[in-house]
Amino acid sequence: MRFNVINYLIGEGIKNLFKNKKSTISSLMIMCATMIVFGLFFVIGENINSFVENVAEAQEIRVIIDNEATEEDIEQLGNEILSIEGVRNAEFVSKEDALDYMKEMLGDELIEGYEDRNIFSVAYDVTLTDLELNNEVQESINQLPHVKNIVSANQVISQIISLAKGVRTVTAGILILLIIISVSIISNTIKLTVHARRKEISIMKYVGATNSFIRWPFLVEGIIIGIISGLLSVGIIGLAYTGIAGKLAETSFLELAHWKLLEFKDMFNLILVVYLGLGIGIGALGSGISMRKYLEV
Amino acid sequence: MIEFKNVCKKYGTGTEAVKNASFKIEKGEFAFLVGTSGSGKSTLIKLILKEEEPSSGNIIINGKDTTFLKPNRVPYLRRSMGVVFQDFRLLPDKTVYENVAFAMYIVKATPKHIRRQVPMVLSLVGLSGKAKMYPNELSGGEQQRVALARALVNNPTMIIADEPTGNLDPDTAWDIMNLLNEINLRGTTVVVATHAKDIVDQMKKRVIHINKGVIVKDDRKGGYDCEI
Repeated sequence: MRFNVINYLIGEGIKNLFKNKKSTISSLMIMCATMIVFGLFFVIGENINSFVENVAEAQEIRVIIDNEATEEDIEQLGNEILSIEGVRNAEFVSKEDALDYMKEMLGDELIEGYEDRNIFSVAYDVTLTDLELNNEVQESINQLPHVKNIVSANQVISQIISLAKGVRTVTAGILILLIIISVSIISNTIKLTVHARRKEISIMKYVGATNSFIRWPFLVEGIIIGIISGLLSVGIIGLAYTGIAGKLAETSFLELAHWKLLEFKDMFNLILVVYLGLGIGIGALGSGISMRKYLEV
Repeated sequence: MIEFKNVCKKYGTGTEAVKNASFKIEKGEFAFLVGTSGSGKSTLIKLILKEEEPSSGNIIINGKDTTFLKPNRVPYLRRSMGVVFQDFRLLPDKTVYENVAFAMYIVKATPKHIRRQVPMVLSLVGLSGKAKMYPNELSGGEQQRVALARALVNNPTMIIADEPTGNLDPDTAWDIMNLLNEINLRGTTVVVATHAKDIVDQMKKRVIHINKGVIVKDDRKGGYDCEI
């Protein structure tokens, strides 16, 4: 395609935007509104995801080793644990560490006297890369030699996993809803332009314009609406999020929950890419749908 | 150039608009398609433009059977024809020049080619002085000239005109017909669907009569109603 043709096609698309100012603005506003609702769930979801990740990092499985294990056995066990899929790290816990841990848990009085005859077993503290692999990893560890037993907070882990799954499902549902609503809005806007220009389209067909030549300006129009709503929404969400997160940080609620909110700039790249992708995709799909009928001349 | 072989066209409603039509229009010919409204003239034009598909039979244009032409090739078929309609179909928000240049944009002509070709065609139809005017500032005859210029600008091998004088007064109608005749003399095939009886009678060109979907008469140098 020659350069002037591309100019012409994009120029026509931009002209369309200004010809139907009312419908362009209304579809921009509705697209923004739906994108902001999605953004709300998106930032909440991202925060919960990061929370879950933090918990996952902190969540340890203590693998207690039986007393018959030699030093080589212990070292080999450590290597074998590390080679299991889903294991992030395995840290050795010596008898002394184990005693200190128990002291911390139960208080000095109860443990008193055990310093001289330390009955605690050595262990590995295993952390996971993905909490969902918890059960598989434990099963694999159980099959290794010299493993006495495993101590972990299974219930907490499974609750966190189901929470994270729930958030992901809701976000995906909202996303699908957003796409359906936005595609129908854009396709309606473009339909108005197409309708207003149906005479021109029929002339183009008679003169021998290819369908893609006719379609491009309308695609450009849809895509521009999509991109502008995407950018506007990211801006609005960013401002609102930074404001609300700032207010929340002043309260003690988050501190109690050991929850540090993500900063918007941490999510900015992802959100921008997702929104531009959505805007372009929705714009193109919407105008594609509205064009189909008019191309059959 | 244009050949119909046993072409039938039945619409979904059950109307049989064209029944077993066979004729051949040679390169460089001037042919009238005549008949009352509802006789099937418009359907014949639509079949040539491939706006409608025949129910049976074959249509051969420029040596190519268009019956099984893929939809994405249709635009290229249409570039070999210039089309003129009764209602002109000009774009009201574009000037005379832009209306004609538009047809060249669509076929992706270079700006240089457009700048050279458009004034040439406008002078051919006698509208050189009105290039910057808008369609609503022109008379009906002038608007139809613009439409003709647009049809000609891409150098088609044929001009298909569907009732080109239907909206014009008799004098202007003659202007347009003379212009079509002039275009024909330059070697372009011209097919005109019309019911302008006196024009057809006087021009002594080939006349294909169609009545109720049937081609009833094909006069080499005919008049409008030589006993149908």
